[in-house]
Amino acid sequence: MPKEITLNHITKIEGHASLTLGIEKGKVTRCELGAVEGSRYFEGLVRGRHYYEAHEMTSRICGICSTAHVIAAINAIEDALKYKPTEQTRKLRILVSLGERIRSHATHLYFLALPDYVGYESALAMAKKYKPQLKNALSLMKVGNKIISTLGSRDLHFVSATVGGWLKLPSQEKIDELSKELESVREDAVKTCELFSSLKYPDFKSEGEYFSLVKKKEYAVIDGDFSSEKHKFKKKDYKKFLREYHEPYSTANFVVKNDHRYMVGTLPRINNNHKLLSKNARMLLRLSRIKIPSLNPYHHNIAQAIELVHCIDEAIKICKSLKIRDEPVQKPKVRAGTGIGVVEAPRGTLWHEYTLNDKGVITNANIITPTAQNLLNIQEDIRNFVPSIIKKRKKDIIMDIEKLIRSYDPCFSCSAHFLEVKWV
Amino acid sequence: MLFVLSPLLRSKMGLRKLYVFGNEFLKDDSFALRVAEGLSGVDVVHCRRPDELMDEEGELLILDVIKGTDNIRIIKDIDEIKTRNLVSMHDFDLGFFLSLMKELGSPKKIKIIGIPEKGEEKEICKKVEQIINNI
Repeated sequence: MPKEITLNHITKIEGHASLTLGIEKGKVTRCELGAVEGSRYFEGLVRGRHYYEAHEMTSRICGICSTAHVIAAINAIEDALKYKPTEQTRKLRILVSLGERIRSHATHLYFLALPDYVGYESALAMAKKYKPQLKNALSLMKVGNKIISTLGSRDLHFVSATVGGWLKLPSQEKIDELSKELESVREDAVKTCELFSSLKYPDFKSEGEYFSLVKKKEYAVIDGDFSSEKHKFKKKDYKKFLREYHEPYSTANFVVKNDHRYMVGTLPRINNNHKLLSKNARMLLRLSRIKIPSLNPYHHNIAQAIELVHCIDEAIKICKSLKIRDEPVQKPKVRAGTGIGVVEAPRGTLWHEYTLNDKGVITNANIITPTAQNLLNIQEDIRNFVPSIIKKRKKDIIMDIEKLIRSYDPCFSCSAHFLEVKWV
Repeated sequence: MLFVLSPLLRSKMGLRKLYVFGNEFLKDDSFALRVAEGLSGVDVVHCRRPDELMDEEGELLILDVIKGTDNIRIIKDIDEIKTRNLVSMHDFDLGFFLSLMKELGSPKKIKIIGIPEKGEEKEICKKVEQIINNI
């Protein structure tokens, strides 16, 4: 039984994190999970800039989730300016968000999570044995990328979305092409689901509450109420129940809901919105190992695979419903005010808030990323999970901890801000 | 005046595809793009993402800048490229993608014409053209 574990370099996650664990007589005496990235200062960088610059600047918080930051920032600014986008703009924003989620889930599942479960150090090492699976992954990632580049006019940090509309609309022909390409990868997504449902996951229940956006009639992507099985909040009230605080061992803030830990991400989304999944995704959920609500964070991987199918179905539905018509970008009337944008990024709920003065200049900003919200839950899950595996060899304990962390698909570079475990 | 041929016309003309990588906003990284502009007899495809290479079934020919060399190098073995293990999505770069494609066995052959980060554009362009004709 190890007395201390120090993970200085957790791999296959986004960004850098460290974990310090102290163990005495089978009990965890110290558990500190922290981001060790440098602070990002984006909230300070946007102060003094015009309202129409927020989304372009905050997009740079992350190359993987840049789309989510763009949409959250635009939603927040439009909220502050009391502007409601057109239905076409809303559909395009949802579609581009789904594209990012397809790319992100496919990459995380096959290249970061799967090697752990099939006993390889990396995706490259398993490539010869898992050729068809990795080819599926590449096809799915390609379609995700194609959605972003078609709608966003760029592959990364897309530029078409703006406050008040869409700067360069995709042609109807391009949307129809996308629909066909999405159809061609649906089977790849179904196979992904079957693969991840067949894997063996550790048995563990998290005590955190599972939160995501919800809407009455649709699987929430870019708006909705923040909800769990027991609680529901309007976005305007987020500061009343979410509190950020700092720990000296982390450059990322921790976030609690009414002083309790909680989880955001795909598993909470499925737990809270499973009835609104596409027909194919609902069927695959029934065939999976997940019993709703699942409190096992390791099931996050299966949830991502199920959501992958849903995203493809939903993206096809949107493509088929879109009849692109020319809509000049609207210029909302500039006014002083505060607005909140909340979206479901691939890794969970993302909050952007901006206060504008009467010249439309940003005077205050607050951004809460999914990983900042999950940080305490991951840390406490590790604290509760380790005693059940304490008799294993040190390297197996580390592997189980890393799998747990990776199942959350965290992005430490975005939260402030990989795993360093320090056993003390 | 430059006349740009449509992709369909270029493929009908049977021109060989040359996939070129580079970020137009970065001076050194965009050198391959500037060199490619002067090439003739080849269908230049500006690649923005590695997955654009996925549909190529024949021999894959790539032009890119290589760090730390003063000469043009032809890389025929992907193992010559320094590849990091994929530890985050941010590592999903061209080097990793080509190594993965090699492991997956598709396409069968990949050749990279590696040019230095800087130099005399016209001279390098001429040499690259000769190399393409002789490959």
